[in-house]
Amino acid sequence: MTGVLAQMGSFLHAVFGTAVAYAAEGAPQAEGGAEHASGIHVVLKAEEVFRIFDFPITNSLLMTWVTIALLIGFALFFRSKIAMIPGKLQAGVEMLFEGVLNYMTETLEDEKLARRFFPLIMTIFLFVFLANELAFLPGIGSLLVEHNGTLVPLFRAPAADLNMTLALAIISFVVIEITGVIVLGFFKYAGKYVNFSSPVNFVVGIIELLSNVGRLISFSFRLFGNVFAGEVMIAVALFFVAYLLPVPLMAFEVFVGFIQAVVFAMLTLFFIKLSIMDPHESH
Amino acid sequence: MEQLFEAFGIDGKLLLAQLINFGVLFVALTWLLYKPVMKTLDERRAKIAQGVEDAEAASQKLAVADENAAQVVQGAETEAEGIVASARELAGSEKSRIMKEAEARAAQVAADAEARAEETAAQALRDSEKEVARLAILAAEKVLRKS
Repeated sequence: MTGVLAQMGSFLHAVFGTAVAYAAEGAPQAEGGAEHASGIHVVLKAEEVFRIFDFPITNSLLMTWVTIALLIGFALFFRSKIAMIPGKLQAGVEMLFEGVLNYMTETLEDEKLARRFFPLIMTIFLFVFLANELAFLPGIGSLLVEHNGTLVPLFRAPAADLNMTLALAIISFVVIEITGVIVLGFFKYAGKYVNFSSPVNFVVGIIELLSNVGRLISFSFRLFGNVFAGEVMIAVALFFVAYLLPVPLMAFEVFVGFIQAVVFAMLTLFFIKLSIMDPHESH
Repeated sequence: MEQLFEAFGIDGKLLLAQLINFGVLFVALTWLLYKPVMKTLDERRAKIAQGVEDAEAASQKLAVADENAAQVVQGAETEAEGIVASARELAGSEKSRIMKEAEARAAQVAADAEARAEETAAQALRDSEKEVARLAILAAEKVLRKS
């Protein structure tokens, strides 16, 4: 598994290397991917903007903070406006919440559980959605600051940094596993994966275990890949035809940003459902 | 693996920062947004349920009141019918009494008139008999005087 990942990494690195080399052709002074004056600026990882006490602050981290600040700001504003007779905004938010909660109740077949997991699913959706859509604002990616002699963008889409998507994937993974253990009990839950009742069941259990751990990778790389690929695609389109051509691509990426937020939240919900299903009922 | 982490810029510090970021957002939104909204939704649901219940009770009460009113109206109707019937009966008996009285008086009037007419006729007959007798005497005298 490690070998495969390393290969994938080097493959991407190679693809990346060519892109960077292409950019470097146009501007000999360019070093690494930090080239903006001409060429396509494509960097696989979030770049460091500045450092606080040896703690690197990357452009994606900054953007994450902006997203969180906006969400919390909205929550504070919204909380003061909540009334028994809802306004348009409140009605909209309530409709979203009720719809999601109803869907979760249907999926989990338990209203109490649905209510318990609602904050997690909703936060994942709101956070990923807003983070993805904010990345299309003017200035994101085009505002530059100098760091260590090179120009780096001040902001970068949070999901275009594997640290962020991996953090979300870890949270999702941990919640799913812990939920399974709490609802089913440790031995019953472990019995889903380590099963000595028959050779076939044993192999099936091991495969399930691997696919469970594999979710960490699929969760994080799906979101990262979609958002990052969108950025690269728009950057390339901008490089060739700066006007009009990127518009449909950006519209599509806005849609992708929404879909990826939905997918991340829904998959977390489905995996929670899978983890709480009784192994004897499900087979 | 190291190379992979390096290529994607995975950094334990950043990863931890993002975990904390999400945790903070999760807690903040739960307290600031989800709980108040859910509370409002639940309160409203309870209020609507109460309203529906009240409406049901009210309509039940209305049905009872309607029934009562119908009963009262029916009672009044029967009573009125009774009153009208008794009045009609009374009127009928009064009418026949008056008629009988009138008939009796008419008969008496007729009898009186007949009696008076007979009297008059008898008187006239007597008168005319006297006259005839006088005329006959006169005639006899005349005849006697000529002869």
